Amino acid sequence: MIHIKNLHKSFGDLEVVKGVDLHVREREVVCIIGPSGSGKSTVLRCINRLEEITSGSIVVDNHDLYDPTTDINDIRTEAGMVFQQFNLFPHLSVLDNICLGPLKVRKLTRKEAELLGRQLLAKVGLAEKADVYPDQLSGGQKQRVAIARALALQPKVILFDEPTSALDPELVGEVLEVMKKLAQEGMTMVVVTHEMGFAQEVADRVIFFDQGVIKEEGVPRELFANPKEPRLRDFLGKVIAHG
Amino acid sequence: MSFQFETKVMGETLPLLMSGVKLTVIITLSGLLIGFVLGAGFGLLKLSPRLWLKRLAGIYVETVRGTPLIVQVMFLYFGLPMATGLRIPPLAAGIIAIAINSGAYIAEIVRGAVQSIDRGQMEAGRSIGLTKGQTMLYVIWPQAFKRMIPPLGNQFIISLKDTSLLTVIGVAELTRGGQEIIAVNFRAFEVWLTVGLTYLVMTMSIAWALKHVEERLSGAAGR
Repeated sequence: MIHIKNLHKSFGDLEVVKGVDLHVREREVVCIIGPSGSGKSTVLRCINRLEEITSGSIVVDNHDLYDPTTDINDIRTEAGMVFQQFNLFPHLSVLDNICLGPLKVRKLTRKEAELLGRQLLAKVGLAEKADVYPDQLSGGQKQRVAIARALALQPKVILFDEPTSALDPELVGEVLEVMKKLAQEGMTMVVVTHEMGFAQEVADRVIFFDQGVIKEEGVPRELFANPKEPRLRDFLGKVIAHG
Repeated sequence: MSFQFETKVMGETLPLLMSGVKLTVIITLSGLLIGFVLGAGFGLLKLSPRLWLKRLAGIYVETVRGTPLIVQVMFLYFGLPMATGLRIPPLAAGIIAIAINSGAYIAEIVRGAVQSIDRGQMEAGRSIGLTKGQTMLYVIWPQAFKRMIPPLGNQFIISLKDTSLLTVIGVAELTRGGQEIIAVNFRAFEVWLTVGLTYLVMTMSIAWALKHVEERLSGAAGR
């Protein structure tokens, strides 16, 4: 589904991603962990070209992102994105947030889009919030709406960029529940996260990023139980001590 | 010296000023309408990733902002015809001057408001497959527009008062109307007082109308 080869990304003189190879299969859930500044979010953002890569190649669903004949807007509808800061549209109701993509990109009629929107809201447990505005929602509810908005394009993969990092601790669970449900339904997911419990429980594969490269990867049980890399051991020690 | 304030003069003056009021309103409204289109266009150009477009918009804004309106008006009405042979009627010249002038200031208002919208909004729009233009139209602009209203109100009021400068090219707007009445009755105090109050009523109407728009927008569309 996603094939990243020898990805490099620099911001000015600062190289944040230094040669990353990453392959994600269909229906696979991949969690990316690692200290902040390790380049994990940057890689995620490169997958739908919110960041331009410096060198390397990214193929999503058999479309080379940097092939001039590739329509990037098509790729973006295939790869939904959920942001740390939710980025809901504050001037639109919850339902309209979800319907905007289907209406303007998928060219659904308003009736079809609203039907889809209400189904998705029910799915994330917010059916009764269709007509309120984002600022009347809690952080957890906002993020669930954002997930519904990403799902509305019926993407083949959803990229989650630290989806629970901006949430109050007691609101993290409800978002992870929705994500778990998606994973169980077979959605392909790439999740940058600090939630080790979630990674352990839901991920098919966990990838540890450090200083712009993949230091270690494996199935969660092994990676968490027997980390080989000292940096990973160190990282897990700190995260679990604080978690 | 025996000055006698006569309210009666004010009462007589007001109806005579009405044709001037009408012209002032016409110039202000059409000038600002065109000015807003110019401002929106050049404001967005200022945000263009293409350097030459950005420069072009920059030159427009700096030129207009850096020269007095009265010079712009004189240049347009007296200067340009000499070079081009094309004579613009005073009213049209006045509207064009107000449009070009307000457009430059509105461009800065538009640029600032659009820039103030969080970058995540553009990213979220792009992430659901909207093009850059669609994201601007459906996501960024509606939010930015709300933020533009207070500074736009300010600019509308300034432009309305600026129309008084068009006296110099003989446009029979409100200030010119006042001068003509004084030339006949010599009652400068009453006439300028009436003219001033008339401007005040118009500017306060603008302020009131925009406050209304602002309240409606924030009521109907969340924050």
